[in-house]
Amino acid sequence: MSRLQSSINTASADFRRNEAHNRRLVAEFKAKQEAARHSRPQRDLDRLARQQKMPQRKRIEMLLDPGTPFLELSSLAANMAYGGESPSASSIVGIGMVSGREVMIRADDPTVKGGAWYPLTVKKIVRALDIAMENRLPVVHLCDSAGGFLQLQSELFPDRYMGGRIFRNQSLLSKMGVKQLALVFGHCTAGGAYIPGLSDYSVIVRGTGAVFLGGPPLVKAATGEDVTVEELGGAEMHTSVSGTCDYPADSEEHAIEIGRDIVAQWDRLPRWEAQREAPEEPFYDPAEIYGIVPDDIKKAFDMREIIARIVDGSRFHEYKPNYGTTLVCGFANIWGFKVGILANNGVLFNDSSIKGAHFIELCNQNSTPLVFLQNITGYMVGREYERRGITKDGAKMIMAQSCSRVPKFTVMCNGSFGAGNYGMCGRAFDGRFLFSWPNHQIGVMGGDQAANTLAEVKANQMKRNGGAVDQSEIDRLWEETRRAYQEQLSAYHSTSELWDDGIIDPLDTRNALGVAISASLNAPLGPPGYGVFRF
Amino acid sequence: MVLKLDLAGSVHHVTILARRPHLVLSIDGRRHVVERLDEAGDGSRQLTIDGEPIAFVRAGSADGVIVRLDGRSFALRRLDAAAEASAAGGGANVVRAPMPGTVIVIHKRVGDHVQRGETIVTIESMKLQMKLDAPRDGEIAEIAAREGEGFDKDAVLARLAAPAEG
Amino acid sequence: MMAPDDNPPFRKVLIANRGEIACRVIRTLREMGIASVAIHHPVEARARHAREADQAIEISGETPVAAHLDIAQIVDAARAVGADAIHPGYGFLSENARFASAVAEAGLTFIGPDADTIALMGDKISARQFAADHGVPVAPSVMPTQDLAEFTRQATEIGFPLLIKAAAGGGGKGMSIVRSAEELEGAARHAASEAQRYFGDGRVYAELFVEQPRHIEVQVFGDGKGGAIHLFERECSVQRRFQKIIEEAPAANLPAGLRDEICASAVRLAAAAHYRNAGTVEYILGADGRFFFLEMNTRLQVEHPVTEMITGLDLVRLQIEIAAGHDLSFAQDQVTASGHAIECRICAEDPERDFLPETGTILHLDAPQAAYLRFENALDRGQRVTADFDPMLAKLVAHGPDRASATRRSIAALHDLALLGVKTNIDYLARVLGHPAFAAGELHTGFVTQHRAVLAAAEPDDATRDRVLIAAALGLRDFRDLILGVPEPHASIGRWRN
Repeated sequence: MSRLQSSINTASADFRRNEAHNRRLVAEFKAKQEAARHSRPQRDLDRLARQQKMPQRKRIEMLLDPGTPFLELSSLAANMAYGGESPSASSIVGIGMVSGREVMIRADDPTVKGGAWYPLTVKKIVRALDIAMENRLPVVHLCDSAGGFLQLQSELFPDRYMGGRIFRNQSLLSKMGVKQLALVFGHCTAGGAYIPGLSDYSVIVRGTGAVFLGGPPLVKAATGEDVTVEELGGAEMHTSVSGTCDYPADSEEHAIEIGRDIVAQWDRLPRWEAQREAPEEPFYDPAEIYGIVPDDIKKAFDMREIIARIVDGSRFHEYKPNYGTTLVCGFANIWGFKVGILANNGVLFNDSSIKGAHFIELCNQNSTPLVFLQNITGYMVGREYERRGITKDGAKMIMAQSCSRVPKFTVMCNGSFGAGNYGMCGRAFDGRFLFSWPNHQIGVMGGDQAANTLAEVKANQMKRNGGAVDQSEIDRLWEETRRAYQEQLSAYHSTSELWDDGIIDPLDTRNALGVAISASLNAPLGPPGYGVFRF
Repeated sequence: MVLKLDLAGSVHHVTILARRPHLVLSIDGRRHVVERLDEAGDGSRQLTIDGEPIAFVRAGSADGVIVRLDGRSFALRRLDAAAEASAAGGGANVVRAPMPGTVIVIHKRVGDHVQRGETIVTIESMKLQMKLDAPRDGEIAEIAAREGEGFDKDAVLARLAAPAEG
Repeated sequence: MMAPDDNPPFRKVLIANRGEIACRVIRTLREMGIASVAIHHPVEARARHAREADQAIEISGETPVAAHLDIAQIVDAARAVGADAIHPGYGFLSENARFASAVAEAGLTFIGPDADTIALMGDKISARQFAADHGVPVAPSVMPTQDLAEFTRQATEIGFPLLIKAAAGGGGKGMSIVRSAEELEGAARHAASEAQRYFGDGRVYAELFVEQPRHIEVQVFGDGKGGAIHLFERECSVQRRFQKIIEEAPAANLPAGLRDEICASAVRLAAAAHYRNAGTVEYILGADGRFFFLEMNTRLQVEHPVTEMITGLDLVRLQIEIAAGHDLSFAQDQVTASGHAIECRICAEDPERDFLPETGTILHLDAPQAAYLRFENALDRGQRVTADFDPMLAKLVAHGPDRASATRRSIAALHDLALLGVKTNIDYLARVLGHPAFAAGELHTGFVTQHRAVLAAAEPDDATRDRVLIAAALGLRDFRDLILGVPEPHASIGRWRN
């Protein structure tokens, strides 16, 4: 496999302008992330300290094997919801190594409303368990939650993918033989009680851990019974009387130690043997990505320059390099794992769509995971392309991609507009993981296009009504539409709604994919097979 | 995850910073590159630490490891969270034998409330009688010895109940 | 190993002991072609001495020590197995006159002195009197008296310093050191009242107090007919808790004339006592060159190997030959000494805590080997070290052409001696040997106390401590798993947070 030849001039004005722009975006992202992780009202931090509880992140650090990566998912979930009062959607989710085993870690955040679940918390938990199911990742739950946030119960309780889905997923995980461990550090009330209840193993901390369907106030209201937390659902009771929990722990640290020991007992399920070589750092400096991605979403750039800064040794075997050139396809290795990469270098034409579909089929035959690097403005429109069958060619790509048996990973690098999002494995296509860069935008169309379209419609309306076109009114409408659209297009909005698995610093792409691909190997590959391609 | 080792009464934190291309360990925050990991287990072993070859003898003990290096033997005790937790209740929860010997008199019973400094057991060691006192106020949760019975150094002879949760 | 002797003096010898000395006796018996019988309490059924002997007999007792002190049982055992002699080793019954008699009465040979010699030397007063009667210097003393005026008069005659104590008692009650005539009367009165109070006997006793005394002893052999020789002296001044921890032969910086004088007096004592077999005459030696009889040990000493190493003789073989009725096989002028030998007693104890005994399990044992080294032990990996027996685990003996080289070799051997699982004084002994005062031969029985601060274990430096911690961590199975058990790509990615 030969090394990509970069043609980036790092001394150019463009490069430096781009770099400054993207570094600012990343700094903004990191500041938001830092706030979501650590900025809490003092009284909540004080309460935690008073209860002699460690912050969840400290517990997670203690749980993880030292010197190993932790891929946190959706760190900015809910960042644009609930007036920002549920940072990270009040939960921490990520993939890491515990006692030499890859596990999904899911933790409540007791520093936000006592760890109460908001609707997006539930969505995040369900997504975490979906990932666990799709990738057969054992789950460690760090339980410390007061239960559902009652004011928003209608948005988190009744529907198919709401509260109940958590417990349905837990049950199915167990059926699949994927282990779950619950470490109960605080209260697990109401629905939350089922998390340890449905875990294969549970550890509960003496004094602070408690599990019950209804807490003492609810019991008092319902039956008039006066009962303490300890009696109702404390460690002693649950480990010696009810059997709801398995191991009492003398401290949080002790619980983590027991937990690590439990995980060490788990069998290592056979991993699917992906093609793998010794890893090699990229030849080109990944930090140069900042200078490559333009400061304006409308400016084009060569996605090979990005590939060169993500893959091992910057080596890339390009497939059909002279055909359908707006879709770059080829083989590379990421942290040693062989992958097939599809990356956008412009709008998708008939030939690029067909090439993409063909390449996806090759990867499925070859058991090569797929990595989609999206920067797509859509499939080409216009009479000529419709006559050539752009829709049916795009459909071929969507069909091949949807029916892929190999794991798929998507990185939203810059823009994702229109049906191109579908062909390039958007969120709806069950890729194993989907990450966004901070500069990324997503929508049916871009903000300018939407504003233009609406302005065009408005102007026509004015003309039809016989009046003169009020240009200032049109301009106002244009500006308003664009602004509203722009906000919804932003990566922060996507990630807030959990349309992705988190925003990542572009420089973290290689590691995020490495951990994600590794995790995906735990699930066996299904048989190859597709629906009916329209020729 | 951090390994805690007690060496001569002070606790040291050992953790892994990196595995590739070399193993890098942190000892209380100090970085050390470790190469040429000899085989596991007891006996004469070698390592390269920060580029220097080190020869030592090692034996796993009941509660840790003993290492002989440079003509000196060091007994290291592994601290586990359970032990730490039980010690966290305002000092020690346990009364340990300071030396091997025999229990002469047991002064308290399980359930008794004791004040700091009250004698719980009297032992004899090397023809010397010694009173072992409560390390803090509390309730006796366990008496792990019987009169006339012998014990080794560091044996737990009595245990206090964990302090009530506040 | 030498071929066994053609005509061994005994067919079978029972060793009324255990541990390293039993193993050491078995070795000589085997060389001489004599069958060996070990005795053991049930708790030591798998001990080395029981395994190494040709035959092992179980003895019972409430405690293991009690079993080893059970005269009737041991004599019965010896008869039952058809042994024709008993070697008592050191400690236990080795200086018990009743045991020696019982053995003789059972028609067996006791490999040691006659019972009456043991009895004579076993009584401090009679031994001292016997020594004095035969021109062996004893520390001048005032015999017990209640007459304080007479006491003061006699005491003043002896000179100062004086050690005054209650005649009847022990434990330091009423004991004091008096350095001038002015202090004498008050001290005597105080001692008398204390003596009366604690022991109901107001008699006081005094003897010359030797400051910073050295402990010098002479190895003698007697044929039981008045013939006796010496195998030179040993110095055993390095002691803790009144017990020797380092012994050497010859004594350091001992003027030749004084050495001859001390050895001659020991031979005189042995000859006068018609001493049979091996014995040791112990002296204290003052800085002024005056030496006084302390006691005579009527048995093989723990530290006999240093004598063996400088003389090339096998003291156990000599004991057996003499016990069998042979004459001394050589004359005094045929005994020569070459080089210097040092013995270190390896004990399960904590030098940092006043040498209190330690217990544990031998987890690893690796002793250096060299022609000039002897590592006398009966240790096994996995063996429990309990408070049942003496804390001495082994003896490391090194020989060298001179004292400095013997010291160097001892330090190196201690350095390389890996005995893990129980706290020992190994490293402490190395520090003693490395002390400049030891090298200079400035020894006395208070050496350990005098140099306490310097001899204390220093804190390891940072580099050493970190190395120890790394070596330890890598010995813990789960920590090792943590290093090696992390799969790729996580191991290569290392610590990373997004």
